[in-house]
Amino acid sequence: MLKTLTDWLDDRTGLPGLTRRVLDRPIPGGARWGHAVGFALASTIVVDLVTGLLLMTTYSPSSSTAWGSVYYITYQVDLGWFVRGLHRYASFASVILGGLFLVRLVLVGAYRAPREVHWWLAVATFLLILGAGVSGNILPWDQRGYWAAMVETSITGTTPVVGPTLKKLIIGGSTFGNLTVTRIYGAHVALLPGLLILCGWAYAVLFGKHGYHGSEKSKPTEPYWPRQAFFDFALSSAILGVLSGLTVFTHGYSLDAPADPSSDDYPARPEWYFLPLNLLLHVFEGREFIATQIIPGGVVAGLLFLPLLAKILPKKLGDVAASSFVVTLFGAASVLIGVAFYRDSVSEPFHQARARADRAAERATLLATRDGIAPAGASYLLSLDPLTRGHELFTKKCLGCHSLGDRKPEESSASNLKGYGSVAWVRGLLEKPDSVDYFGKTPDCGGMQTWKESSKLTARELDAVASFVAGFAVIPEELTPGNWLIDPKVKEHPGFEPYKRECAECHTLGDPAKGKMEPAPDLFAWGSDRWTARMIRTPGSTTHYGFLEAENAQKMPSFGGQLTEDDLRMLVKYIKGDYEQALPPAKSSGK
Amino acid sequence: MPNRRNFFRLGAVGLVNLFALALAVPGLKYLLDPLGKRSGSGDFRKLARLGQLKIGEPQAFAILAERRDAWVKYPTEPVGSVWLVRQPEGSPEPVLAFTAECPHLGCPVNLAPDRKTFLCPCHQAAFGFDGKKLNDVPPRGMDRLPVELSTEADPEVAVKFERFQPQTAEKKPLA
Repeated sequence: MLKTLTDWLDDRTGLPGLTRRVLDRPIPGGARWGHAVGFALASTIVVDLVTGLLLMTTYSPSSSTAWGSVYYITYQVDLGWFVRGLHRYASFASVILGGLFLVRLVLVGAYRAPREVHWWLAVATFLLILGAGVSGNILPWDQRGYWAAMVETSITGTTPVVGPTLKKLIIGGSTFGNLTVTRIYGAHVALLPGLLILCGWAYAVLFGKHGYHGSEKSKPTEPYWPRQAFFDFALSSAILGVLSGLTVFTHGYSLDAPADPSSDDYPARPEWYFLPLNLLLHVFEGREFIATQIIPGGVVAGLLFLPLLAKILPKKLGDVAASSFVVTLFGAASVLIGVAFYRDSVSEPFHQARARADRAAERATLLATRDGIAPAGASYLLSLDPLTRGHELFTKKCLGCHSLGDRKPEESSASNLKGYGSVAWVRGLLEKPDSVDYFGKTPDCGGMQTWKESSKLTARELDAVASFVAGFAVIPEELTPGNWLIDPKVKEHPGFEPYKRECAECHTLGDPAKGKMEPAPDLFAWGSDRWTARMIRTPGSTTHYGFLEAENAQKMPSFGGQLTEDDLRMLVKYIKGDYEQALPPAKSSGK
Repeated sequence: MPNRRNFFRLGAVGLVNLFALALAVPGLKYLLDPLGKRSGSGDFRKLARLGQLKIGEPQAFAILAERRDAWVKYPTEPVGSVWLVRQPEGSPEPVLAFTAECPHLGCPVNLAPDRKTFLCPCHQAAFGFDGKKLNDVPPRGMDRLPVELSTEADPEVAVKFERFQPQTAEKKPLA
């Protein structure tokens, strides 16, 4: 019965016969582990095809959704971290096995006649694997992928003659945009795997023609089944086991913070197998085309040329030359990878930049998990996070004069904004206006100190004034000063009366006299987002520190033209401490 | 050596299966992930005051909600629509609420041009204002939603928005 079915299938398709021919294929010299390298390479490519198909069911290729979908895969989908991690690690394994396969083909002499086409297909497979790895690295559109893409496409652009056109074609325009991720995605999931499968199929056909390579013709041959099959499957399964173990052990592959074109300290590194070229870039400083064009081009040309070398040189000499070429090539690459890792491991600036990148990644993940990602895209996770963006802006724009917590007030030339807006901050100001935390370093703002020297307010009254002023921050935006003042809660506040007695003379409350320059800022809604934003945008307005303009004194510069509305909002919220406080624990690397 | 040969034969077959399983098991778990995700059942939402509704005249209300879809959180936007039909004084239920999603294939049910019945624009499924089906296009009547009235003199009408499987004779919540 079974036999009839097999015969029918064989007659119509030839498959059972083909299977038998494959299983009975003779191996000169018998089964050996070395023959299993090619099969193992095919198996890691299969792992990548399977996991890649799975990832395609979730991944969303666009610059606004890529990060979010990879975040979703990594942190929300059942075993998503495993599938993504295995995909990545299997691609690493493919690179290693692809290299080993090439070396082995040369060492056993399977690169020359009659197997030249074999060899060229193997070289093409290796290059396609590298291309798949490079394009896949970009797809999450995180900091790692974004900056790798930036460097790689810039290098592509330096290729003589075709470079600029090629770069524009790859990224879909002159600069990165919506078409970049989609084009690279198309290459990664269709073009490159398609070519890889084509190469594999062609290789299998040629293999059917030439069979196993064996120099020991004297030894008896052995059929493929079962010993060589066992070796093939055992090596493949062992590699899959190691990759799965590695994935579980590292809990998948990390995801950096969303791509941020404005970041200026991301420690960009290529995929590890391109580290040798990255290192050579430093070696050939000023003559970078040697590392980016001549060496890679020479290596590929050399590999393709090997079968012809055997034609030119005597057989023995050709083999020695070819073997030393590939062994030196892959040996040197391995050494340079080691050197590159070592250089980074002893570089303190690298550790610090990496630690910052890790913190940004954890912060983005935290915000994505808590709030979800806005439809506009993942890049807004951090650019609309006061702790991230506000801190960045404060460091660049404010820290030159002001301090905030981690900087000593003595090193500043303006007030310490730690706790700005709080009762304690106001109380501290009322206690000692000329402290370095307040107006101690800005003598032109000596009005408060002049008041202090003649003040008759008791400590209890000062407490009341502090709590009164700190309450200004929550005055609703729609409330006019007039309506606010008639609120009984305002009039009955214990700080109201002392304020009127000693503060109101200089500090108006939303009712500055027209045309007259007030000698002090108007305090209506002091500490609110809008008051603080106005202070940053136009500190010289008549309701703030306009009186300093008149005296041409030391004053805060206006930041109005330098900050977008969003940035201003982030800066204000950061200064006020108005943000999600839960910081992910900082990684231990660096300080 | 038949034993040695058997070892390699069985070993090879075993390893192939092991390899396939090691990929298939996590792969299936990953692929089946959406089955484990529950659509959050909604809360009661206040839609109108009873006094706003006219007896026997259906009125449509949009359900506004913040929607979380995989990794994206959308700001408040319409996620669905319900029909409220006020019943005559003295009825056991002062207001009937129907989801506008047709039990046939999920299109939004609207009023018929004569405004005397509900009619689905996709396949002409027709329903009375009591939700009962008037032809055999839909498998069941329109899906009632739970209604809550507040205790004030002019009570607020709140509706719990839920979704149900189309195409079944029984009303089954969408998992």
